[in-house]
Amino acid sequence: LVVVFSPLPRLRGLLQRCWGRLERGLPPGFFGGQSPPWGPALAVQAPVCLPQPASGTGESSEAPGLLDSILWMAAPKKRRTIEVNRCRRRNPRNLIKVKTNIDVCPECGNLKQKHILCGYCYAKVKAETRLIRMEIHKKEGGPFNAPTVETLVLYDGEKPTEKDEGKRIIERARKRPSWFVQN
Amino acid sequence: RWLASSSFVPQSCVHTSTSLQTTRKWEKKNRIVYPPQLPGEPRRPAEIYHCRREIKYSKDKMWYLAKLIKGMSIDQALAQLEFSDKKGAKVIKEVLLEAQEMAVRNHNVEFKSNLHIAESLTGRGTYAKRIRYHGKGMFGIMKLVRCHYFVKLVEGPPPPPEPEKTGFEQAKEYVQQLRSRTLVNTL
Repeated sequence: LVVVFSPLPRLRGLLQRCWGRLERGLPPGFFGGQSPPWGPALAVQAPVCLPQPASGTGESSEAPGLLDSILWMAAPKKRRTIEVNRCRRRNPRNLIKVKTNIDVCPECGNLKQKHILCGYCYAKVKAETRLIRMEIHKKEGGPFNAPTVETLVLYDGEKPTEKDEGKRIIERARKRPSWFVQN
Repeated sequence: RWLASSSFVPQSCVHTSTSLQTTRKWEKKNRIVYPPQLPGEPRRPAEIYHCRREIKYSKDKMWYLAKLIKGMSIDQALAQLEFSDKKGAKVIKEVLLEAQEMAVRNHNVEFKSNLHIAESLTGRGTYAKRIRYHGKGMFGIMKLVRCHYFVKLVEGPPPPPEPEKTGFEQAKEYVQQLRSRTLVNTL
């Protein structure tokens, strides 16, 4: 990425002004053009009359301001050779590590990570849940109509038993999937 | 790196002409036909070359994935790529599955699991330059990078990994090298 510095009069102008002031023996001042809060330097007349080297020493007693940090920015001294670059990019720290926690899902036979649910089985359950939710939505017919009783999902050819008395029934027009256990 | 042009140094560093055409040699490698093998020769394992061109990804980032699967069996490589979080992993997985399919259909490979990855490389694709707008009216020129991915599948189980050289081995080799030095240009 190459940043083109063509239209930046502000920084250049600031630098030119600061250099001009340094040559004249005055302190460079801050970014906003405010007067520097130098109590001791202003009280003693010597730094103002002395030539440039003294103003250089007077400057160093001050805490580094914004301009100092600009002039003292870290920059690379030499171009990093391709050999050095390769050593950094290819050392084992940066290579991708081989995963040893991949297993086979006992249900569907796809691959899964040991601590994560099988993606295929999860997608299967998700699809069925979505259809059940669509049925619920059709039955409720709008928001905020959820009943205060339990919901029971029945597939083809199933009847509610005695203990499923007060539950709301959701019908699904297909065979019960093997993984959906009936209570 | 400080190469001179041909007029300055006659021997080496000669600027030869570069062509503007892209070479598509990897696709042609599938077309070589060997003469029939003699009855006594060991069976030559099938080699399948496949590649995908102009993938919208960086060649350096793709290289890490290519280095990961180099030398693995195809099943292990597919497993590793399936659970990798990188964008290039999905692309390489598709390429491997395509190559496996090609192997079984066209290249007379009996078992689709009996393949291993002999070579896997990345190459630079064509780059496009675009402007990236910064603040204060400044701009930078950014490159839209693309890469190619090449893979060579060979039939058979993956070769066993080379045992790492111990320090003692390396020291022994060094001493051997020192001992085998002779005097040059003398009687």
